[in-house]
Amino acid sequence: MDSPHILRDFDQAISVLRSEVLAMAAQARHNVERAIRALMERNPELANAVIADDDEVDERERRIDQLGMEILVRFHPVATDLRLVVSSMKISMNLERISDHATNIAKRARKLCATQELPDAGLIEPLYKLADHLLHDAIAAYRDRNAQLGASLHGRDKELDRMHHEATAAFGSRIDQTNGRSADYVHLIFIVRSLERVGDLASNIGEDAVFLESAKDLRHTSNRELED
Amino acid sequence: MSGSTLLSDASASIEVRDMDFSYGPQTALKNVNLTIRRNEVTAFIGPSGCGKSTLLRCFNRMNDFIPGARVSRGGVWIEGTEIHSPEVDGVELRRRVGMVFQKSNPFPRTIYENVAYGPRILGEKRKDALNAIVERALRGAALWDEVHDRLHESAYGLSGGQQQRLCIARTTAVDPSIILMDEPCSALDPIAAARVEELILALKKKYTIVIVTHNMQQAARVSDRTAFFYLGELVEFDFTSKLFSKPSVKRTEDYITGRFG
Repeated sequence: MDSPHILRDFDQAISVLRSEVLAMAAQARHNVERAIRALMERNPELANAVIADDDEVDERERRIDQLGMEILVRFHPVATDLRLVVSSMKISMNLERISDHATNIAKRARKLCATQELPDAGLIEPLYKLADHLLHDAIAAYRDRNAQLGASLHGRDKELDRMHHEATAAFGSRIDQTNGRSADYVHLIFIVRSLERVGDLASNIGEDAVFLESAKDLRHTSNRELED
Repeated sequence: MSGSTLLSDASASIEVRDMDFSYGPQTALKNVNLTIRRNEVTAFIGPSGCGKSTLLRCFNRMNDFIPGARVSRGGVWIEGTEIHSPEVDGVELRRRVGMVFQKSNPFPRTIYENVAYGPRILGEKRKDALNAIVERALRGAALWDEVHDRLHESAYGLSGGQQQRLCIARTTAVDPSIILMDEPCSALDPIAAARVEELILALKKKYTIVIVTHNMQQAARVSDRTAFFYLGELVEFDFTSKLFSKPSVKRTEDYITGRFG
């Protein structure tokens, strides 16, 4: 918002809310990154740290909800301010789910660390890079109020869906071809499934960023409608 | 715009066209264009001195009583007739366009007499008919249950909120089509204000309502459309839900979000 609010307390409360969301976003993204690193580097301690740190993300979600409720009760925000509060609360819910997926990945990474290394695990890296890129841009769209960037995520997430299908098919075929490693490949299938969900949730955050900036509701809108 | 009749949208109740208004040399409203639709609640918001109450008082020519005050350009059409044209009688206009003020102003008479006063002035003498009008108006103002057993006591014995609803009943007793409200809840406690707001929502089924308010939450709660005025100009007029969620003009956004000036 360009001009300051007449009530300085209001600007302060909004600023704290935004900072909390951005801190939570950084934390959730960091958790996904460390969970994938735990898998690639076969580091169970790192996986344990990700699982333990999920509580902090949960706590931030509660704090953001509380801050949002306080702003609604005290200041009755409207227009852009109301959209900022609503979108911040929705984004924190999506971030909490992203961190849950990081925990899921870390738990499976921990199990894979206990077995012989699977060279196919490297197939996951490009999926992670794209999911992380989408998440980065979703957070930037919220931070910079960039509706165009936010709206672009929906289409770009389709590429991640395609990669997810390919990787799932590849790991599925390995289950049939390998002896005694089927459980490990099932872990990999669930890990790529989590990354695909991270992309979906980043796309949701992109939609929230569009709503914040332009009051447009893109949910349940097809790619074709978006292009129109 | 010329002529005393205006062909317009069939849903229009009040139409303001190209209107300037001044108090002597001081211009209070500039080039206002606005259509108020029948059976809707329209809220006027804006900072003090923006002209919203002046425009409200134009609708029943209350400004006629202020020396030097006049519509200097354009006009106001109600149900297709320009209200300053010679065939429009001011008293009859004010019967059709009732008004409720910021401070409740019951007459120093009984509750019954307050409501029966208008119909009596208009020539209704029959006791049964007056009884029916009083009961209908008090029921319509959600006051009957509270006062039916003390109709002949002084109106001054009522609480502030009840007095304001009595004034609304007094307005509806002469069967207007439009009710103007100038900050009707600003002197009321939150419960009494909520009762009046509930009443406004019920009354719009039968009347067109225009309300001036400084309480933006109230405008958001009760009105279908909202007009934002600033320095005598109509800045933005839109559906209330749109104006309070995504206003089109930055000045509106700055005002409603508290970043004004």
